[in-house]
Amino acid sequence: MAIEIARAKPAASTDSNADDPAFLKIRDLIYGTSGIYHSAEKLYLLISRCARRMLALGAASPAEYLEHLTPRGNRTAELRLLLNEITIGETYMFRHPAQLDALRNVILPQILQLKNFVGLKRLRFWCAGCSTGEEPHTLAMFLLEEKEKMLAGWTWDILATDLNDNSLQTARDGIYGEYALRNTSAIMRRKYFKDVGDKKLQVNDLLKAQVRFDRLNLSDDSKMVFQKGLDVIFCCNVLIYFDLASKRRVVQHFHSNLLPGGYLFLGHAESLFQVDDSFRLVHFPGTTAYWKPTAAQAGEGKK
Amino acid sequence: MNAELHAQLQTQIKNLDSISTAPAILKPLLDMLRQPSEDIKVEKVVELVSCDGAIAAQCLRLANSPLFGRRETETVRSAIMALGLERVRSMLLGLCMNRVIPEDKWVIEPDAFWRHSLGCALITQRMAQKIGYPEPEKAYLAGLLHDLGFLVNSVIYNEEFRECFRRASEQHAPLHVVEEQVLGFSHCETGRLLCEHWGLSKEMRDSAGCHHDVSLLPDAGPLACLVHLSDLLCRMRYLGYGYEEIMGVDLGGDVAWQTLISAYPALKNMDLVRFTLDIEGAMDQIVATVDSVFGAKRVAAPATT
Repeated sequence: MAIEIARAKPAASTDSNADDPAFLKIRDLIYGTSGIYHSAEKLYLLISRCARRMLALGAASPAEYLEHLTPRGNRTAELRLLLNEITIGETYMFRHPAQLDALRNVILPQILQLKNFVGLKRLRFWCAGCSTGEEPHTLAMFLLEEKEKMLAGWTWDILATDLNDNSLQTARDGIYGEYALRNTSAIMRRKYFKDVGDKKLQVNDLLKAQVRFDRLNLSDDSKMVFQKGLDVIFCCNVLIYFDLASKRRVVQHFHSNLLPGGYLFLGHAESLFQVDDSFRLVHFPGTTAYWKPTAAQAGEGKK
Repeated sequence: MNAELHAQLQTQIKNLDSISTAPAILKPLLDMLRQPSEDIKVEKVVELVSCDGAIAAQCLRLANSPLFGRRETETVRSAIMALGLERVRSMLLGLCMNRVIPEDKWVIEPDAFWRHSLGCALITQRMAQKIGYPEPEKAYLAGLLHDLGFLVNSVIYNEEFRECFRRASEQHAPLHVVEEQVLGFSHCETGRLLCEHWGLSKEMRDSAGCHHDVSLLPDAGPLACLVHLSDLLCRMRYLGYGYEEIMGVDLGGDVAWQTLISAYPALKNMDLVRFTLDIEGAMDQIVATVDSVFGAKRVAAPATT
């Protein structure tokens, strides 16, 4: 998209320059480097995130802020800080009910059928880049809720990895405040948490036993090749921090880590377009996932 | 479908004209729908809209709604200019059909039906533009009309179709599949017959008739393929028939996608995730448009212009 270079505007307020072409440039830059896309209707979100960074840097205009994101500025560091702002608040429990619906209604029945056929009643899940543990704990609660229903007679394990030791410690402690629990119903809170005071809840032993937390660098090829036999991988808002080459490598690892018939979930606005074409993009109500079909499924074309 | 059933449906659709009180503007409107939009004279549309007080009032209402910047529009002409011919055309069709179908005959909720139809129209048009299809307006119309067969079924087989809808929503299954099981035909066939009866082009008939299975046509045109894909996308983004369907859709592996790609290689360069996000962004507007057009029928229409 051709966009003219924005003229610097004196006003620091971002409300007044929402039409500033510099924001479109930033939008395209974010899409190009991270794969996160802001549609016209979501541009206001990006603008408000930029505003925080502009304030921190004392940038007077979007154009001036854009300078910080060019190779002349401190591009890599600033991009990281902006991506942090963009993905902030992304993690709370039951953040993506549409993903869980897709799992319950389509993905798990499909995988159970495949595995039933070979008589292997065990499932493997991996949350790659689990941050402070909201996602794997949500998955664990979801699976426990299905224990007597769809998953009767099945066992599973959930591996959750992250690079950041502080995040992992928080995840292992499993103590969450109101923000992380905003979408967690009273029933779930009673079943899977205990009150530890100070308006905080801690995961109980039942839930704790469900998830294995481990430190893992997704760029560490020697470790990545050992992740085997996975049915579903979650990797939400992690690849956005990687450059194209590393992103490709990680996604290729994911592809071989998954069993045929397995699925990969990315963050809501993340796209693998022109990153990798070994997966098939599948649309579910309200969400999308990347699919590694079995040879037989691939032949069918449509599911 | 056998020849006998086909003939029977054909007669029933012809008889639709006499059993319902079609607004006087339906016939001239259909003539207008058949024309390319650049041939349509604004005067003609003004004349058409003005002869129906309730419809004229709704045009003004929509033009004055926040969706269109709340202009102080007082004449039918300026309302039409504010809304744009394309939007007026589809709105007129919706308003007409809403009066053709008696209120107690609706099976799919009118709001859900028009959200789906309008959503599909918009997505078909956007996708057409993305791949370089030469007539995006035609694509819009094909998207708008593709499910009219549902309305036919609602009128001529009301009870049976109600049963289809009940079963489909209970099983979270695609409606056309249940129609086939219960009725022996689906809205695709009746939609095609209605298009035929209205004298619409072969492309329009095909996209209504084959939008659930483009392989039915030996030469599936791009329009039928576009409508097929848009219809699936709509249903995967909460613009379906008003109930949740359980399915996953591999659009890239779809026959329609493959057919389109051979004629329009630009499709390869379409980031489908990005396209879907754009659609999600436009959804609020679709819902707002439908609400302001069809929500109006619950409000007493002003006397006239």
